[in-house]
Formats: sequence, C-alpha cells, structure tokens
Amino acid sequence: MLLTGLLASVELGLNRVLRLDSTALPRLAHLTGKVIAVDCRNPALQLFILPSDEGLMLASQWAADVDCTLRAPASSLVKLALSKDKTAVLHAPEVELDGDSGVLLELAGVLQDLELDWEYELSRWLGPVATQLLGGHLRSRARWYQQGFASLNQNLAEYLAEESRTLVGQREAEARFSELDRIKLDLERLEARFERLSRSLDPSDNA
Amino acid sequence: MTDQRKGSDAEPTTHFGFKNVPESQKAEKVAEVFHSVAAKYDLMNDLLSGGMHRLWKRFAIELSGVRSGNRVLDIAGGTGDLTRKFSNLVGPTGQVVLADINESMLKVGRDRLLDLGVAGNVEFVQADAEKLPFPDNHFDCVTIAFGLRNVTHKEDALRSMLRVLKPGGRLLVLEFSKPTNALMSKAYDAYSFAFMPLMGKLITNDSESYRYLAESIRMHPNQETLKSMMVEAGFDRVTYHNMTAGIVALHRGIKP
Repeated sequence: MLLTGLLASVELGLNRVLRLDSTALPRLAHLTGKVIAVDCRNPALQLFILPSDEGLMLASQWAADVDCTLRAPASSLVKLALSKDKTAVLHAPEVELDGDSGVLLELAGVLQDLELDWEYELSRWLGPVATQLLGGHLRSRARWYQQGFASLNQNLAEYLAEESRTLVGQREAEARFSELDRIKLDLERLEARFERLSRSLDPSDNA
Repeated sequence: MTDQRKGSDAEPTTHFGFKNVPESQKAEKVAEVFHSVAAKYDLMNDLLSGGMHRLWKRFAIELSGVRSGNRVLDIAGGTGDLTRKFSNLVGPTGQVVLADINESMLKVGRDRLLDLGVAGNVEFVQADAEKLPFPDNHFDCVTIAFGLRNVTHKEDALRSMLRVLKPGGRLLVLEFSKPTNALMSKAYDAYSFAFMPLMGKLITNDSESYRYLAESIRMHPNQETLKSMMVEAGFDRVTYHNMTAGIVALHRGIKP
C-alpha cells in the first residue's frame, strides 16, 4: 500500500511535467493499451508503466499480460532516467529486454524529446504579465552568466598563456609540435640512410 | 448472517445498519441515504478516508487485469472513480458500463465523467445488482466498490454478477471489512461511531446517513465469510487482499 501511494504521487508529478510538452501526450496516445514491466535487479523491485493520452500510469502490480519487460540493475535505470541518449543506455550489456522492445523504445523516444514549456506552467500561477517579466529577466540573467563565463574562460587562458607564461599558448604549442614531427621524420629518414650505408659497406654482404 | 429470510407468513427482514427492516424497505432506505449524500459524496470520501479510498481503488484497478478492448461493468459505480480509469484502459475498442441503482449517484457520476471528457466508450445504466439487465457471459471484468454491503440479497447479487461474466472473467469486490488488529479495531470503532457522524452533520447536515455507513460496515460479512459466499455463488480461485490492516478488503474471484 505504501508503494502504491508512492507511485501515485510520482505519477501525479510525472504527468504534470509531461503536460508541459504539447507533443508528449499525443505521442503517448499511440501507446495506449501497452504495458511495460520494469524489473529492477538489485534492489529487487517491479513496476509497471501504462502509457495513455492522459500520461503514464504507474502500478506496483498488474494482473494482465505485459508487452515488454525491461530488466536492469538500479544504476542502469537511474542512468536511463537521467541520460539524454536513452536508446544508448537500452543497448548496454547489463540491460535485458523481453517482448516488443519497440514499445519501450518509443516511450524512451517520447521522454527523450521532451521540451518543457515552463513559462506556460508559470503563467497559470502568476499570470501572463508577471511571467513575461520574470521570464525575460531570467533569460537575460542566463545570457549574462553565459557570456561572463565565456569571457572569464578566454581571459584566464590569455593570462596563463601570454602574460604569466605559465602555460604554452595553443598556436605556439601547435608550431612546436609540427616542428617536433618534422624533426622526428628527418631523424627516421637519417636512420634509414645510415642503415642502407652500413649495409652497403659491410664486407660480409659482398662476399 | 446477511439476510434473514423467514417463512411465508411474515415478510422477511434484513438489516439496515443495526436495525432490522422488512426486505422490501431496505432498498428504499439505502436510496434515501445516497440521495442525501450524492452531492458531496467525493468530498466526504476524501475527508473520511484521508484520501485512502483513492489508493484502495487504485489497488483494485491493478488487480483487475483489464486491458484494451475489454468489456467492464462497474456496479455501484457512484461518482465514477473506477469507470474513469477503466475507460482509459479499455480504449476506444472496449466498453465500460457504469451501473448504479441510485439515480442521484448515477447523475452525479455521469455529469462528472462528461465534465472530465470521459465519453465514447462509457455507458450509464440504472440497474439493481441483484437483477443485472445484461446478457449472459458478456463482461470480462465486473467490479463493485463499496456497494455490496448495501445490497439486500448479496447471494443473488453475486450470482447475477457470475451470470454476466464471461468464463475466465474476474469479479472484484472492494468493500469495508474487519480489521485484523485488535487495537486498530478499537480505534476504528471510535473513529466511525463518533467522528464520521459528526463530519456528516457538519458537512452534509446529515449525521444519520453516516451513522448508517458505520453500522452497515459492521454488519457486512468479514473477509472469510465473503470469500465463502463467493465460492458458494460459483466463483473459482477466490482470494482476498487486506488493505489498511483489514479496514478494507479486496476479494477477487474468477468465473470457471
């Protein structure tokens, strides 16, 4: 009963998030009627996912047949939930899939493509004007931080390479490396020439 | 334990809460209770169970095994909590019938579901659980949540449900039952006989209906008795799950 309650709360939050993407629910509607079992090894836990046009339903048990079973350790499942490339995690060797894997791949695809419209949700609570002001402010802050970070990066690199001479600059390093490559090639040619000369002067060879 | 059917000289009586009433009057009295509480039924359910009724119903849905294309009958469906979920599960190729004997409850349920956009695969039928107006072997799953204790002849209702189920179909009975823990039982008694009528008085101005609710729960057969009643009616593989220390039990039986 505790697990049922927990899943009900997770389901409520998850479906609220899914509603923030206008394309997620219509895409999930194609999976209506499908049942995906997630069998977590270590710790042993089973849960069932039922997609529909209302979102995802999570159940701790399901009496009907399942279409697809995903068996994986908890670490892989967490990776699957957080990773941007979910299909790559599904192809990992510790992940087992039984049944119609297309259902799971489609669900993973929907979750991977989520683009959440936070501003819409915020506007329901704060109203359009306040959301616009807040959104504009947050966006300009984010831009400012991005630019600040990029400029700090550049300045730091310039200081370390040019002013303090602690590090070698990129172009200088590239020139040095190409010089080293050239010397290495020259050295190999010289070695080959020596080898050939020493062979031609060797009396035993002429014999 | 359920219905005291007497000889032909006197009208048989049955219980209505702790009182005994003639059988012909029980349905009428139960109807009065539900006409009175229908408008605030959901609010009272949430308040009195602390939202637990949602989890109990959720568990029933998990065990129902309903899938796309199934035909489901939700008896005593009231305000349509189970029907809404079933409608989603059976999809456009399935069908859900919300049946309730009480016109007020059915009206509240129908309006609520239509407001939520649940339509197309749902039908609303005013029907008596003892004489279900459906063909034999018609449904894949029949549920009755918190309704069986209000039925006058429970054995007849169970047999009627068996009749309309397809072979292999499932009956789920979600109903208040007997707490398995003595301490819990005492606390539950105090809660139901003091707090529930008080809340009824404060919110719906009707303490009698909620006193009936508490009394009818005590008069309802316990887990084992209901199980044997289902077996007697003809169900196979009857099992039950206690929830919240036995305050509620979910019985499941399969039509052979």
